[in-house]
Amino acid sequence: MTEPIVISKLTKDFGGFKAVDDLSLTVPHRSFMGFLGPNGAGKTTSIKILTNMLSATSGEAYLNGVDVTKDPKTALANVGAVVETPEFYPYLTPRETLAYLGELRGMRKEDIDRRSKEVLETVKMTEWADKRIGKFSKGMKQRIAIAQAILHEPAVIILDEPTSGLDPRGMVEVREILMELKKADYTVFMSSHLLNEVQEVCTDVALINRGKLLRAGTVADLVGQVTVRRIEVQTMEKVTGELLNKVSKLEGVTELRAAGENHFIFSIDGGNEAQSKALTDLQSVGLKVVSFKESGLALETLYMSLIKESR
Amino acid sequence: MEANANATKNGTKTLPSDLQQVGVVAKYDVLKYLRSRRLLGILIIEALVLVLITALVATSDRPHTVDEVISQYIGFVSILIVLGATLFGGDAIVSEYQNRTGFLLFPNPVKKSSILAGKFASSVAAMSLMLLIYYAVAIVGGLLMGDGGMSTRVFASLGLALLYGISAIAVAFLISSIMKGSTGALILTFALFFLIFSIATSLIGQLGGIKPWFMLDFSGGSLSYIMNNPYPVDSVDTIGIGSGMSYTIYNYFPEVYLSIAVMLAYTVVSLVLAYVFFQRRQMAA
Repeated sequence: MTEPIVISKLTKDFGGFKAVDDLSLTVPHRSFMGFLGPNGAGKTTSIKILTNMLSATSGEAYLNGVDVTKDPKTALANVGAVVETPEFYPYLTPRETLAYLGELRGMRKEDIDRRSKEVLETVKMTEWADKRIGKFSKGMKQRIAIAQAILHEPAVIILDEPTSGLDPRGMVEVREILMELKKADYTVFMSSHLLNEVQEVCTDVALINRGKLLRAGTVADLVGQVTVRRIEVQTMEKVTGELLNKVSKLEGVTELRAAGENHFIFSIDGGNEAQSKALTDLQSVGLKVVSFKESGLALETLYMSLIKESR
Repeated sequence: MEANANATKNGTKTLPSDLQQVGVVAKYDVLKYLRSRRLLGILIIEALVLVLITALVATSDRPHTVDEVISQYIGFVSILIVLGATLFGGDAIVSEYQNRTGFLLFPNPVKKSSILAGKFASSVAAMSLMLLIYYAVAIVGGLLMGDGGMSTRVFASLGLALLYGISAIAVAFLISSIMKGSTGALILTFALFFLIFSIATSLIGQLGGIKPWFMLDFSGGSLSYIMNNPYPVDSVDTIGIGSGMSYTIYNYFPEVYLSIAVMLAYTVVSLVLAYVFFQRRQMAA
């Protein structure tokens, strides 16, 4: 069976600047893939090409086996998308908006009514179903945007930074909806620059920078490849130059820096064993360690190292 | 590569035809006009114009025929058409970009040609509603305040007004597909008809001595002239102003069939260009 999203040698050139550069990527069936990269990496441009908002300079992008650059209507038939933070027609209510988009997709009236009820419940917007969208908050609009993306039960859902610009509460609410989508058997392709979000929600991840794919695979595989860990240490002693000098001489310690009066951070390569040995070594040089913990996410470490390499 | 776009997660589905989607876009765009203040606003302006003309005719001592009374009303139709084209077509396309509603609409399986056609159909429907109400009131006013019977020229005028309205909306759509902002598109559409076209038509006709048959506003004038019986013909009058000098006045009138052809040409060319620009326009930011 054809994979739901296949991007092949995709390039988008904005007058000499390549926002997407020969990108090839396959999103496996029923995966929840995070599309990760810093600002300006080419995530949104790639997604806009996939959703027929931008034309590609070269290359192909298949959705359910149909090249969206050649036949967007057929390619988007079985896709739901939320790109950036869409605005809504202020004169329509959420229910009418869903009816509009459902009718455009050829859904029958009874299916639109049934699914509208279901998706508005999913995004917790039932009580607002018949209020005009004009005055809705950004978080409410984002929830309606997700509702319209899943209205027709598409095989593929494409989300472009769905929590971007939301307040903390809005982010949590949208993330809860994403977790619900994960339980259902959709194939989801979601761009983000929030590493914790991706590690929490996604099964797969693709890392991109400067329009080029750096790495792709399952989150478990990629995290497993990370052997370098960042360790944050709190001591009874004040962090002095002498103390840091001592620590820097310990086996495997790199990127050492002070992080406060009684705090310092370093990196160490070698997994659990090296981490355990580092704690013993710190105590052996006479440090009174108050806390010793891994700092940051494994995905973040991989991300930072790959981004650094790609520069 | 095997295509399985119609296979949904839980079964199969068939997309509606392009024509059906045109109908859906038009239906919800009409809803926009019904719920927004634009249609209401233009209907209020229309009502004020109708009341004013009715009052003027009713208080006039001179006896009028039905056609003469209706002609009084028809004299203001061109202005209403320009207002209608501005409000119903001026920002029809650009608003999808500026208001970011394109982020909602464009990822759907619908061709831009269907979106354009649907929006155009709804704008034409709003314009037609406005004109039909206006002509209906004008006819009632004519029958109540005029003498004699009503000629079929009124219906010919209505037909020309509808065609002028359609062509003006098409030009507005062209502007809307090019401009970056809604306000600029609205102002340019209004200024184009009220200032640019009318100045150009005057310059070409009065100073250049060339019949401006190719100008849209000139062709649109046929909707008023058709109420005259007989239909006015072109004339050139030379008036002596002393010292051997003279001044020439050119009076040009649009020929009905040529006007129809010009308005149709503006409609087709404007819509084709609007489609080309809309199709090429990207949702960049």
